[in-house]
Amino acid sequence: MIRRLGAGLAVLWAAATASYLALLAAPGDTVDILVGDGIDTPEIRAAIIAEWGLDRPEIVQYLAYLWRLLHGDLGRSYQLQRGVGEILAAQVGPTAELTLAAAAVGVTLALVIAVGTAGRGRLARGAASAAELVAVSVPPFLIGIVLLAVFSFTLGWFPVSGAAGPSALVLPALALGLPIAGVLGQVLRGGLERALEQPFAVTARARGLTERALVARHALRHALIPAVTLAGWFTGSLLGGAVITEVLFGRPGLGRVAMDAVTGRDMPVVMAVVLLSAVVYVTISTLLDLAYRAIDPRIRG
Amino acid sequence: MKRIVPALLLALTACGAQPAAEQAAPTSLTWAVETQPITLNPQQWSQNKVRLLVFNQFDALLSRAQDGSFGPWLARSWQVSDDELTYTLELRDDVTFHDGATFDAASVKANLDQFRVPGYNAAVSSIQLRAYKEAKVISPTTLEITLTEPDALFLDFLASPYAGQISPKSLKSARDLKFGGPDLVGTGPFVLDRYVQGQEIHYRRNPAYNWPPASAAHQGPAHLSEITYRFLSEAAVRVGALTSGQVQVIEGVPATEAALIKKDPGLTLHTALNSGTSFSYYFNTSRPPFDDQRVREAFREAVDVDAVLRSVYQDTATRAWSVVGKASPFYDASLERAFGGDVAKANALLDAAGWKQRDAEGYRVKDGKRLSARTFASAAYVRDRRDILAQAVQAQVKQNAGIDFQVKIVDAGTAEKALDENDYEIFENSRGDSDAGAALNLLLPGKGALNRTHFSDPELEKWIAEASATSDQARRKELYTKVQRTVVRDEAIVFPIYVPADQIAAQRSVQGLGFDPASGTPAAAYDVRIGT
Repeated sequence: MIRRLGAGLAVLWAAATASYLALLAAPGDTVDILVGDGIDTPEIRAAIIAEWGLDRPEIVQYLAYLWRLLHGDLGRSYQLQRGVGEILAAQVGPTAELTLAAAAVGVTLALVIAVGTAGRGRLARGAASAAELVAVSVPPFLIGIVLLAVFSFTLGWFPVSGAAGPSALVLPALALGLPIAGVLGQVLRGGLERALEQPFAVTARARGLTERALVARHALRHALIPAVTLAGWFTGSLLGGAVITEVLFGRPGLGRVAMDAVTGRDMPVVMAVVLLSAVVYVTISTLLDLAYRAIDPRIRG
Repeated sequence: MKRIVPALLLALTACGAQPAAEQAAPTSLTWAVETQPITLNPQQWSQNKVRLLVFNQFDALLSRAQDGSFGPWLARSWQVSDDELTYTLELRDDVTFHDGATFDAASVKANLDQFRVPGYNAAVSSIQLRAYKEAKVISPTTLEITLTEPDALFLDFLASPYAGQISPKSLKSARDLKFGGPDLVGTGPFVLDRYVQGQEIHYRRNPAYNWPPASAAHQGPAHLSEITYRFLSEAAVRVGALTSGQVQVIEGVPATEAALIKKDPGLTLHTALNSGTSFSYYFNTSRPPFDDQRVREAFREAVDVDAVLRSVYQDTATRAWSVVGKASPFYDASLERAFGGDVAKANALLDAAGWKQRDAEGYRVKDGKRLSARTFASAAYVRDRRDILAQAVQAQVKQNAGIDFQVKIVDAGTAEKALDENDYEIFENSRGDSDAGAALNLLLPGKGALNRTHFSDPELEKWIAEASATSDQARRKELYTKVQRTVVRDEAIVFPIYVPADQIAAQRSVQGLGFDPASGTPAAAYDVRIGT
């Protein structure tokens, strides 16, 4: 457990350092970024350099950054005139809400479709397969626009954005969850069908188990292993997709903040977002390891 | 309890036996806007697109009309001494901040002196307040401001968001001064309730308000009791939200959607040209090929600007003929039809300039070098489909004159680097300054902070300096006319393309929508009401 924690911390340090170096290597210097599109005179530059301590050597700035980080201080945004911690704290909630809802939508749809169509007739499988293919290959932006045009602008069932409670979450969650349902559904059905052809399935059927009980008690567990492995992938896809979804639906959230920070080279915000994503990844991969143990007794050894 | 009592009262009056016909129209409104504010502190303001938010919460000292003249606002009147170094402001005596503090000469002085705090706003203290020496409180309603040198743009500063008056108490106590927020209070017609980054900003009416600018259509408190601005950065989503009735007003209507809105009988569309400079290409005269005036002129002649604007913006864009925008009182209309669209002339000029050979791809070549020009735009600042516009220009100069125009949409750092290292041929820019002279001060003098042409001419600089020092509007117009003729017609260092504009679309029932006369951007919500 301690080794795992140490490894996690090492990953976080590496993420912080890598993002620091990447931004350092990117063209243009920080003063230019802070001046931005606006007026650029020597006096303004001098004032900015003094304000942010940019005249110190890079290594000193880096160490100062790590030192502050150790004290839980994420620094101040170059562009948003506020502390990074404060900005992120306000945006974590809505993103968590969106990604969890999308994950729930994705997993539920995938399970329903896979269990409903595995081993069934060609027509049902074909239709499900086609739907999954569409969900995976259409860009999330387009899915979002179509959902909005139909269910919000035309039918008026759901609001486009705002704090209207759960109803404002439906469309964004669908837009973000559908591609996941697509991939996950394919993998789950494939896994289920392979499991249902295994000798243990024949034995179980011979014991008089109904097909439904066979799927629920035995086959699903086999099919879940590759699906759970995919969870790591879809964490990434959720965080990435959140950028587009949040902007499109006018929702607050980390994705939007991260995008603005990257295009504006707002270093403190970018680094904080990278760190936060690293924390999420490390946590999820740890949880996945535990999940494997629960699903597949052979790993527990 | 405090909250419950008014709510109860409201409920009671609502239940009262009022005849239906007399019931008041709804007084809250949702407005979808494209751009989120980077800061809510007016003195840190940097986005013309959020001017409409600034003047909900804050009032400036003066107001500015479209013809460039100034009117009263929080200052009843002002006087400028003969040497143009002393400005005496007579302030209103009936104004209070949202926190109950009284607005007076001392608070104005505190706001001015705030810019002296290092790190507060380096840009404003070194540009707009360059000549600011000191402010003296003569009486609670009289303030005397002294400058170190005459500055015609000082009144413009007093009418800008930077002169938005903040309660001195909150200047000291605000948790995040440079960002602002509900605890940074002003005197405006609305009080900021909450700001949810990425979602919306909400204001409620200031019931005590009775000090609107000279340009306002009514007196007393605002018509709306509440207004919510929702951030929807996708134009198609804004339009959809409007047509489905989820919001009542939107700003930023793209050309592709304007026709649809015009056709809808339930909606209205309003447009206004922005103040400041037009969107123009500035030629870098310090390096080939644009060190040769013939090539600069040839580039302008090679483009059929009308056709380009029609294909990119349908019929919604206004062609620009001068570096100064058409909405500015300094605009020189004599430049109209002075250049552009003469392909034969373009080719003759290029032949004369020695770009005679063509390479395999049809581009002109001289001494083995292709006739090419690059422009760098930072992706974050590309708006108004300017990337598409550049592609249309690219196609025209290639086809009509064999010029290789390369459009580089890059990250902010790369764009800055190209400018710093003088490694570009064309610089594209428009500025929304309420006084076009402020923009010209930056763009045209040899040492101007935004001089990307590297062109410098002592006579031109003399005119610009005089025009920024005198407050005689007629004299300024005369000088700026000479300036425009020099840079557009005689030297051809700039290629004006279109005059930026703003659009508002709304449900027909929404009235009193308009544009800020100083900037041509949507106005704050003071006069807005919902009709019946």
